[in-house]
Amino acid sequence: MNTLACQLLLPLLACSVLCSTSANAQPDGRLRGTGGVSSISGAGGGGLTPWATLTSYATRDARGGSVFASHVSVDDHTLDVAGAAINLHDRIELSYARQKIRTKASDATISQDSTGLKLRLAGDVLYGRAPQVVLGVEHNALRDPAAALAAGARATKGTDLYVSAARAWIAGPAARTTLLNVSVRHSRANQFGLLGYGGDDQGGKVHLEAAVAMFLSRGWAVGAEYRQKPDNLSAQTENDAFDVFVSWFPDKRLSLTGAWVMLGDVAGAPDQSGFYLSLQGTF
Amino acid sequence: MTLPFKNSVAWRALLLSTSIAFGACSSLQNDENLYVALGGEKAIAVIVENFILEIARDERIIDHFEVSNVQRFRVMMNQHLCLVADGPCEYTGDSMIDTHAGMGVTEGDFNAIVENMMAAMDKAEVPLGPQNRLLARLATFRGEIIYR
Repeated sequence: MNTLACQLLLPLLACSVLCSTSANAQPDGRLRGTGGVSSISGAGGGGLTPWATLTSYATRDARGGSVFASHVSVDDHTLDVAGAAINLHDRIELSYARQKIRTKASDATISQDSTGLKLRLAGDVLYGRAPQVVLGVEHNALRDPAAALAAGARATKGTDLYVSAARAWIAGPAARTTLLNVSVRHSRANQFGLLGYGGDDQGGKVHLEAAVAMFLSRGWAVGAEYRQKPDNLSAQTENDAFDVFVSWFPDKRLSLTGAWVMLGDVAGAPDQSGFYLSLQGTF
Repeated sequence: MTLPFKNSVAWRALLLSTSIAFGACSSLQNDENLYVALGGEKAIAVIVENFILEIARDERIIDHFEVSNVQRFRVMMNQHLCLVADGPCEYTGDSMIDTHAGMGVTEGDFNAIVENMMAAMDKAEVPLGPQNRLLARLATFRGEIIYR
């Protein structure tokens, strides 16, 4: 997985040089906010889930990327995430993130690597009648597998497959630019993979995700997300996740997102909710 | 006003690249006439002046749209925005697809123009709602403008 991380990060670094020095590539060729923010898996989103948007402001004529750090603190756990993504010609997005969940009481931590590939199949999120549709793959691998195996997970690695569609209306409700994103995901992940994959109480594998966002001004967006999750472990209950968020895009270099997340039961701790903060830099 | 522009064809192209309406599509929800919501003839004239200034100092696109006949652009743009906004005007310019043939307007160029229009409307103190309604109508012409 370290090798894979390098394979992703090296082109990222290369791109940060190439993209900024090529004269006509216009890495900022899309409109502010249309790159979204960085999800906890590193893929462009969304916070709790990837969206059909591709990270950065690269058009078909350019490459771009983003780096981010996020912190989530719910009642009994924290989650820290750092990662990066690159966008090749607004067609392919490659992403990587390192996640670390910590249980506050015991200070026990679990880390995971998440690598992602997203392919834009059709459409443009902002222009035209058809939605922007992507096919995405996320591969997660636990670096600390003991807790997952103890909880009854069948595997410590897993791959999710998703199809996501996004459509923004420039003059949506109240003439505010409004985005709707809907995804269908095939996953066996327990708590985003942090508790492994599959289990002795294997539930459905196909899950729905939905998000809405509205730009109150050119730089401020508010919205909400829902992510249906599996519930595969008889020893622990897992619930669907929700959040409401505010994102600030002061320019095309930076975004800051604050959210209130509701995760339900996590690793035996009931009704976990708390705040989410994410800082993203884009190039 | 002096601008570093050289030919009127490109000015027309620029005008057209920002949108041209031969049939403005209806707004999504707001029923108020958009021309009125924008502020009518006077406000559109201010928007167009601001827009010209924004384009003139935008290094991303200025080379792409070298032109000189500012007066023609001004007149056409006023007519055009008026018509798109359902105002009492007639547009006397050329068709969009023809004008953009061979221009190679990219996605990024188009969005740069959109940003210039946003700035022009901000400086004209047009509220966000009417701004978005106008942009949504102008956006419908994107397919006829880029990569031609």
